[in-house]
Amino acid sequence: MASDPQMLANQRIVEDLASRLRRRQVVGSRQAALETLLVLRQVVSRARFSNVDQLVDVIRSVGRRLVDAQPKGRAHSFLYEYADFNHGSFITGTSEHSVGNTVRKVLHHIREEYHTATEGSTPAPAPTFSIAKFVSQGQPRKQQTVQKNDAAKVPLKENDPDDPDSFARTLKPVLMEAIQDVFDELETVYDNISKNAKDHIHSDEIILTLGKSKTVESFLKAAAHHRNYTVIVAETAPSFVFSSFHDHGLTRHFTRYGGREMAKSLSSAGISTFLVPDSSIYALMSRVNKVILGAHAILANGGMFATSGALLAATAARAYSTPVVVCAGQFKLTPLWNLYHEYGALDFGDPSSVLGFEEGDLVDKVDVVNPYYDYVQPELLDAFITNYGDHPPSSIYRLLKETYDDEDNEL
Amino acid sequence: MAPKSSAGKEKLLGDEDEVLQAVILADSFNKRFRPLTTRKPRCLLPICNAPLLDWTFESLALAGVQEIFVICRSHAEQVKSTIAESRWSKPGSGIKIMPIMTAKETFSPGDAMRDIYTRGLVTGDFVLVMGDLVSNVKINEVVKAHKERRKTNKDAIMTMVVKESGSRHRTRPTGNSSVFVIDSETSECLHYEPVMGYPPTKVAGIPREILAEHPEVEIRNDLIDCSIDICSVEVPSLFQDNFDYLDIRRDFVHGVLTSDLLMKNIYCYVAKEGYAARVQDTKSYQSISKDILSRWTFPLVPDNNHPAGDVYEHRRGNKYIAKDGSVVLARTSRIGNNCLIGPSTQVSEDVQITSSVIGRNCVIGSGSIIDNSYIFDGTIIGAGCVVEHSIVGAGVEIRENSRVGKGCLVGDGVVIGPEAVLERFEKLSKKRETGDDGEQEDEEEDVDSEEEEIEANQEDSIKAQLGSDCNAIVWPREAPDEDEDEEGVENYKNQRFLRLGLAFSTPSTSFFFCATGDDASDLEFTDEGSLSSDEDSDSSDEDSDSDANFTTLPTSSATSLTLENSTIVAASDAVAESEFRAEVEQSLERAFAEGHSVDNAAVELKTLRMASNVPLSRVRESVVSAIVEKIQIVEGGGVPQRQEIAKVINRWGPLIDKIGGVDAVETVSILQTHCATSERLPLFAQILVALYQADIVEEVDMRRWHALPSSKGAGEEPGPRRDGMKKCWDVGAALLEQLSQQESDSDEDSEGDDDDGDDDEEEEDEEEELRRGPRRIEQLSIIK
Repeated sequence: MASDPQMLANQRIVEDLASRLRRRQVVGSRQAALETLLVLRQVVSRARFSNVDQLVDVIRSVGRRLVDAQPKGRAHSFLYEYADFNHGSFITGTSEHSVGNTVRKVLHHIREEYHTATEGSTPAPAPTFSIAKFVSQGQPRKQQTVQKNDAAKVPLKENDPDDPDSFARTLKPVLMEAIQDVFDELETVYDNISKNAKDHIHSDEIILTLGKSKTVESFLKAAAHHRNYTVIVAETAPSFVFSSFHDHGLTRHFTRYGGREMAKSLSSAGISTFLVPDSSIYALMSRVNKVILGAHAILANGGMFATSGALLAATAARAYSTPVVVCAGQFKLTPLWNLYHEYGALDFGDPSSVLGFEEGDLVDKVDVVNPYYDYVQPELLDAFITNYGDHPPSSIYRLLKETYDDEDNEL
Repeated sequence: MAPKSSAGKEKLLGDEDEVLQAVILADSFNKRFRPLTTRKPRCLLPICNAPLLDWTFESLALAGVQEIFVICRSHAEQVKSTIAESRWSKPGSGIKIMPIMTAKETFSPGDAMRDIYTRGLVTGDFVLVMGDLVSNVKINEVVKAHKERRKTNKDAIMTMVVKESGSRHRTRPTGNSSVFVIDSETSECLHYEPVMGYPPTKVAGIPREILAEHPEVEIRNDLIDCSIDICSVEVPSLFQDNFDYLDIRRDFVHGVLTSDLLMKNIYCYVAKEGYAARVQDTKSYQSISKDILSRWTFPLVPDNNHPAGDVYEHRRGNKYIAKDGSVVLARTSRIGNNCLIGPSTQVSEDVQITSSVIGRNCVIGSGSIIDNSYIFDGTIIGAGCVVEHSIVGAGVEIRENSRVGKGCLVGDGVVIGPEAVLERFEKLSKKRETGDDGEQEDEEEDVDSEEEEIEANQEDSIKAQLGSDCNAIVWPREAPDEDEDEEGVENYKNQRFLRLGLAFSTPSTSFFFCATGDDASDLEFTDEGSLSSDEDSDSSDEDSDSDANFTTLPTSSATSLTLENSTIVAASDAVAESEFRAEVEQSLERAFAEGHSVDNAAVELKTLRMASNVPLSRVRESVVSAIVEKIQIVEGGGVPQRQEIAKVINRWGPLIDKIGGVDAVETVSILQTHCATSERLPLFAQILVALYQADIVEEVDMRRWHALPSSKGAGEEPGPRRDGMKKCWDVGAALLEQLSQQESDSDEDSEGDDDDGDDDEEEEDEEEELRRGPRRIEQLSIIK
């Protein structure tokens, strides 16, 4: 298998990303996904393997290390003496789920490429009903039509004792291409999501959104090309926005009051925008036609983690039967369940944005919690708009099954 | 591929940047944590189950530091091996850590800095921190600002990071804080004064020049000094040059800022965001533990980025429970908010834990109560124990039904109980085994000698209290006599402010707390009823009395205590001052006799002032009196006398302003006090006029002086001195009246009718007035 210097080099880049994730220097799910992909690409390009299982093992171990770096993403079990409940392994706290998702996605692609390469001679099974295509006219994936013929030409020799590298040599270019596909998908995710924006937003509608989400921002801006509508932005005090500025790897730019930034950006794009405090969400809800939210992670049951305040908005919307639409890239699909933490994602930031540290008297006497995310149950949501088409919460499980392989659910 | 190449470029850019170096002083240079620190250095004490040094490394890593020098002194080998085994020395940590062992003779941070200089460790700007820092401040941004400043001002040698906190904040040390005088515009630190809890610092002096030179200054006592300093390469060499600098703040910063010769600037960075604090005493140990558990240090929190690499689950209410499934919590146990429980720890039934940290592999017996305590790894606490506000070391065994009072420190490996009772603020350590002495004694001679002494003084009565199986020695609660003379923050009484178990916030409230706490313990003693504990309660009563006194009545007993000290100090000061005065007189005499230029005389005076370290006002006093005495009294007064005065003042008057600061009000006051007792009292008015004419004193200054209550002789004992003062004041009043009359005259002259000369309003007029002044005043009839 891989020789020591390579392992060492791998370890270094993996550890580097792991510690940056732990130090929250990489923030934002898309940013984390991109960084993960960069690491995986290096790992794959360096890896030496003579069959596909070895490769999968290498990638999984890297994935495990990265997910462990954020202790919350990891399944855990905790022994309560005489505990009477079954501790499930799919507990999720959150930090960047997109890291694990990206690893799963890459694994899925690798297996797919491997299958097309080995069974290339047999006619590729006609793609069965895919939910992505069933619900919308979402694009079929490119590579399924294109490369099959060339790949089939080179016979793959697994576990060749004479030339152990031959397998890797033949497969690697295809694999790199597969990773590049994931990469491209991430690059274009905003465009693909906002492609159908005009079908969701109609003229003279009033849209309510919460805080700052890049996805929602580009979605609304895309709709503004075709429609004339009004946006109400709740300022989501004091939650952070992860602006993904990049300065020498030290990315830790939190801006408070993401809603303010969002409102500024939208109004500069010519959309008529109102900025309101969170407390007035319910009062305004009767006038709102649609609530559009961003997600941090979409869970297997169709629920989601979203910036704190999302639950408030979704519940208010339910009271007025206002539709709640979630815009999110497919990399946010997470094959995990939220079992225990009914309302919170259990990722808490520091209290300083809620209570200033200089308030010496209060600091000692008050316990301040500053959760990053709300858990919003699937019952409160109406539709997910992803770059793989639009789906109701109830069919997310199916989308997950198509996106990832079952054996990767736990890395 | 595009993204890859861009990543490569980024790496290249990163290489071009200078490597950010940090120096950690991993020694405390004091004994506040003893006896916990007898066997291991303070920087390896765990806080929230990770060694302090790891928190510091992580804090620096968070800030993008790439190279760290760790200066270790006590238990240096231990520090070195710990670093070697830690994850920091594994590949991929991204940080290079080099332990540097300094000599045993390094007794202060100043010595360590000199060592850094002689070894030539640092090559550029570096971050200087202590080995007990917990921070998430973006130090790299401070470094950036520092470098930016260096481009325009080469003398900006240091930037101190301070964190805003309220005046009553748990993390702000009450016994050891400081006053910063900061220019609000440039954030230059203009002056630094250390503040102590005992003897209570009540006055912070700020040089007048600062207020004169800077239009806007902030004087702040609400800052937590994080001891994060961005230093330029010059800093170690400055320490080398000034061999008497010991402490970085009290000596170096204070020295640089008050020096007239160094001309270096120090800046402050008031961190608005982020958290930074130092575990410098047991009290801050507690408050920083609390801060970590309540996530102020995010992302440096146990469930996210625990420096020791443990994984914790964060539950509602800031409870952190180790996540590897090895923790056993009994169903009836109650874990309160803000708790941390380490891996493999067992908590039995009916245990109550609140706001505490429990280490790895601990066992807490059933029915025990643990409140606000910090229990290190591998400690066993028996059933029915109560541990409050204490730190319990590693591998300690507290047998059943024992009670550990507030503020106790229990050293590693101690066994006490069963049914032991530890009084408040008791310190215990394990009796040394005679077997392994040989090795240790070479290494830790000083430590051992003290320990031996304590061991020799053990009383049997205490032994009885600590239970039959006890292997502990009790450290004396009062500092031994020879330590009494320790000055500054290490003073025993000041230490009381710094220890665990006091309520947070200001000294006064904390001592109220103390008093009530003692009442409660009295009650317990009556329960015990035994003779030995009675004795003890007496002593602790005295203890509480003294405590109560110096809070509730800060004026009576506290001041009487300080007075004793200050008379001694004053006596020694008086000697130094009279020496100084004599020297100044001599030097001035020489100057007068040999006709030195004013500048030369001024330089000589400055050096004298440095040498004998006296305040500026003393110099001024001496100079003014010498000048006044220089004036010869001409019989019959009149014009010849006036000429004589004018001659002296014109020749030597400018010297008054050249000694290092201009303060005309003080000059007049000094002149007054001098004249009041001198035979030259009748000349006061004329001298004052002469000074006025020589532009050394201006009318505004005279008015201000006149308005001072002390000028009227207030607070003086009745007697000739007071009479003299009064006379001078009267003379001044008359003079001023004449001046303002003139002014109104001239105003009327120039503008016809005007309200009486309000000098503050029209500076233009005033200046004109001054120019015209001399001629007019000469015509004045002088009283007396």
